[in-house]
Amino acid sequence: MLIINCPYCGPRDQSEFSNGGEAHVKRPDGSKEIGDREWGEYVFIRANPKGLFYERWVHTHGCRKWFNCVRDTSTDEILVTYKLDEKKPNLNNFKSVVKTPSGEPEVGSGNFTVEK
Amino acid sequence: MKSINLKKNQFIQFHQKISFKFDGVKYFGYKGDTIASALLRNNINLVGRSFKYHRPRGIYTCGIEEPNALVQIISEYSEPNTRATIKKIYEGMEIESQNRWPSLENDFGSINNLFSPIFTAGFYYKTFMGPHKKFWKNLYEPLIRRAAGLGKPPKDFKGISNHIHHNVDITIIGGGLNGLLAAKSFINSNYDVLLIDFEEQLGGIINNSNKLSSIDNKEPKDWLKETIQEIEDSKNIKILKNTLVTTYNYINHLIAIEDRFVGSKPIEGKVNSTLHKIRTGHTILCNGHIERFLSFQNNDLPGIMLSSSFEKYMCRYGLAPSKEPVIFSNNSNSNSLVYGLIKAGLKPKAYIDSRSGEEIEPNLFDLIRKNDVPLYTNSQIKGAFGNKKIEKILVEDSSGALNEIKCDCLCLSGGINPDVHLFTQSKGLLDWDEKDLTYKPSKPFQPTITLGSASGQFNFDNLNSDINEKLKTFKVKKLDVKLELNTNTKYNIEKLWEVSPQKKSLWAKSFIDLQNDVTTKDIRQAITEGFDRIEHLKRYTTNSMGTDQGKISSINALGIVSDLLDKKVNEVGTTIYRPPYAPLSFSAIAGRNCYEFYDPERKSPIHSWHIKNGAIFEDVGQWKRPWYFQINKDESMHDAVQRESKNVRENAGILDGSTLGKIEIKGEDALEFMNLIYTNSFTKMKQGSARYALMLGEDGMVKDDGIICKISDQHFIATTTTGGAATVLGCMEEYAQTEWPNLKVFMNSITEQYATFNISGPKTREIMKKAFPNINFSNEEFPFMTFQFHEFNGIPIRILRASFTGELGYEIYIPSNSAPKIWDNIQSVGKEFGLAPYGTEAMHLLRAEKGYIIVGQDTDGSITPIDLGLSWMIGKSKKDFLGKRSLARPDTIREDRKQLVGIIPSNKADKLEEGQHIILDKEIKSPVPMLGHITSCYYSSTLGHDFALAIIKNGRSMIGTKAYASTSSMGTTGVDIVKPVFYDENNKRLVS
Repeated sequence: MLIINCPYCGPRDQSEFSNGGEAHVKRPDGSKEIGDREWGEYVFIRANPKGLFYERWVHTHGCRKWFNCVRDTSTDEILVTYKLDEKKPNLNNFKSVVKTPSGEPEVGSGNFTVEK
Repeated sequence: MKSINLKKNQFIQFHQKISFKFDGVKYFGYKGDTIASALLRNNINLVGRSFKYHRPRGIYTCGIEEPNALVQIISEYSEPNTRATIKKIYEGMEIESQNRWPSLENDFGSINNLFSPIFTAGFYYKTFMGPHKKFWKNLYEPLIRRAAGLGKPPKDFKGISNHIHHNVDITIIGGGLNGLLAAKSFINSNYDVLLIDFEEQLGGIINNSNKLSSIDNKEPKDWLKETIQEIEDSKNIKILKNTLVTTYNYINHLIAIEDRFVGSKPIEGKVNSTLHKIRTGHTILCNGHIERFLSFQNNDLPGIMLSSSFEKYMCRYGLAPSKEPVIFSNNSNSNSLVYGLIKAGLKPKAYIDSRSGEEIEPNLFDLIRKNDVPLYTNSQIKGAFGNKKIEKILVEDSSGALNEIKCDCLCLSGGINPDVHLFTQSKGLLDWDEKDLTYKPSKPFQPTITLGSASGQFNFDNLNSDINEKLKTFKVKKLDVKLELNTNTKYNIEKLWEVSPQKKSLWAKSFIDLQNDVTTKDIRQAITEGFDRIEHLKRYTTNSMGTDQGKISSINALGIVSDLLDKKVNEVGTTIYRPPYAPLSFSAIAGRNCYEFYDPERKSPIHSWHIKNGAIFEDVGQWKRPWYFQINKDESMHDAVQRESKNVRENAGILDGSTLGKIEIKGEDALEFMNLIYTNSFTKMKQGSARYALMLGEDGMVKDDGIICKISDQHFIATTTTGGAATVLGCMEEYAQTEWPNLKVFMNSITEQYATFNISGPKTREIMKKAFPNINFSNEEFPFMTFQFHEFNGIPIRILRASFTGELGYEIYIPSNSAPKIWDNIQSVGKEFGLAPYGTEAMHLLRAEKGYIIVGQDTDGSITPIDLGLSWMIGKSKKDFLGKRSLARPDTIREDRKQLVGIIPSNKADKLEEGQHIILDKEIKSPVPMLGHITSCYYSSTLGHDFALAIIKNGRSMIGTKAYASTSSMGTTGVDIVKPVFYDENNKRLVS
């Protein structure tokens, strides 16, 4: 289980939080004309990369505040958390140091435990 | 096998006899004994029957790695598959052997051994395929389950466990030599340290073997005592004993299980195990190594044991399982056993080593020569033979000649492996060591440090420098410990995985997995059949899939496979080591989250009244809601519901609606916020009025509904469905924070602060007048969909005129603490008007007669307000609200969407069923085009027949036509499609 650093409360156990999917997805302005494609992408389409990912979380069983983070989806490591009104960090600042644990074994699924 | 007690042992209290029963027979052991050591003391070695072939099996090891000696503890809720080698005995303990019938000595299932040539790998997959699918479920599986397997499931299990959380800087797993040294470096440092050991006594190899002769010029036992004292005195180190770390998760999250009743019977009602959930900065793995066995014919006979286990029985339990065991080894790890036996005045019957004379350590050579122990170098055991116990072995010596040696015990050593289980659970990488012939930890994935034999350091020379180097990131003092060994050797091993049998026979078996009865022949066969990938092979043969996860054998299997495939072991790879390290019971995982604590039960303030008045409850989310009230025990649900609903239509009924979600919304921009959240427009709404409102998801689908009361533009109270309250609040908070942070608005749940009573029926006004005499309930003063604040006997109340039944109705909101008082008052004044409580089922029936939907029953997340015929609720002039744009998506404006309609049977006497399909043809001929299905269905005594709500394709255009509803008896019923309102279509009763 992860430890997540709530920007308001500090590091807490994952069980206190809920995941809110991709961050920085802008809701189209309802007062303007919105095309089917634009709206459809906002409602239904989310990125699902392997690697660094901007993500939203909410401290459900805590302060109930939403915040953003950068998570490495391949290692599950949360690299940084920041408040909603903070600028999103540049992904180039982060590097995945460790090879992904689920990563592409050459022979047999168990072989990732063996160093090549 | 004749064992002898070696008196002089600090762990066994020889003056304290303990009686216990094994398979109904009474035996004696001593305080400190495990089941295994106590049985061995009584010269019992046959303790179970094997999984598949029902072969006699004995005690193979002296610890957690035990594959064979699994027993059922009758005196503890019949707990199955308990390792006899770790469970301590206590007075009155009752133990049973497993997987045998009628008795351990004469087991009927052992007939399987005769048929064993056909029970090879994949036997079940190949054999039990036909003639029909049902044969597997009804015949084969029950039969196989009966014949194969381990213990029986426990009965009336009542074990209680609790959970404890730890948050520390450093966790040291294993309190052996390296664990203690690591802990010693942290004494009085600024780090919070947790030292965990599986045993009751810290010390590891210091207690379990004869390897060390002195530490810091002291007797190892004295050094141990002093060191433990120092560690215990250090305020920053906490020691957990009898605790096994089973799981190593991400982010250094460890799970460990502590046995709270070691050596005594668990007391019913007391916590008997504790699950420790540990968060740690660094994990230091000092969990040592595990000895492997070797494969040769009948290597499973009772009387065969790992050599380090024999040594542990001597050192730790004051017991030599045999006076003159034969030792068979391919490495130097069994040297200390020879030394220990001779020191104890015993003598090995023979020492057999697959290594050549030059490779064998000189001091072992001297020891053996000096004591006239028959030595066979360059030799192998071809097989062991005997009836239910080992009687003789066949040794092929260096010249190729066969020697028969009579013996009652054989100690095996096939080499040692670092216990990499936890390390790989943490996703650390392993590397094959070609010299030591084992996988060793290489790159950690997390902040993990491995020390001692757990890291693959099988020698003691670099002990100090290794620990100092690996702990240098911490600000701790350097170690300088002097060690002297009894058998001064460097670890040396020769490759040997398997000895082929002397005679080729279909019945000759060399086991590779003792618990799952996998033989080396199965491995060969699997490879021949193409299962040459190690993960496939594991599943096909079930090798290392037992509860012991092949702790003493899985590396041997890799060795054999690598030889067969002519590959390096590194290329073969290893299967994944999965948590838990050793089985832990579900009750330990559940902790206190079971029975009434499994999920919180929420109860309304009137709950005790409901119980007294015959309520049958229904779970709605976490809430207990009265489903219906039984006036006497014989009243059926149908009768009760019809009586309750009829009473609402004729007199008046009262429903406890306290479970409804209630959210208070306040703030400068509350009006704008509500306009954005709900479909309705609240701008023109008068203060003091209420409105039925819908909430959509961004996809335009109905998510929740409720009544919104507008107190002012800055203050609203919204009700939600009982089950949707948390979601709705969560959604409001999300949008307030993420999309519209500019809006000044706050929201809070007030669900539990207020009780809600819904009174409805033609006589409601009379009752309300009498219950609240100072309030004017006339239509003019208190019109439909308005609310008023009042005070009643000093209690602030809010009354809303609204109805979910179609009758004249009021909802009263009362602070929860005062609710029972007002409830009782209404009950007593209502009696003369025939007021009676009704439950959720009658409420569902009444609302369905009016065509009012229930979100989640008549909708399923794919239904828009337009589909429901509720377009009038959409504030079309509003620029934006949740899901607005989606109502104009190509999909939501399709003509043939499913729409809400009413259904009545064409023949009024016919029954309808919830969930059944609406179709066009009377005959069911596949493929049947499905129009939709019945979402709600009831019998109405007001209408005198069944009726239903349904969502069907293009339903509104079909109103007035006929169709068919499928039935559970595979037939059809003719139905009329009608408007989804069956009662008082013009709402006359509602506004009367």
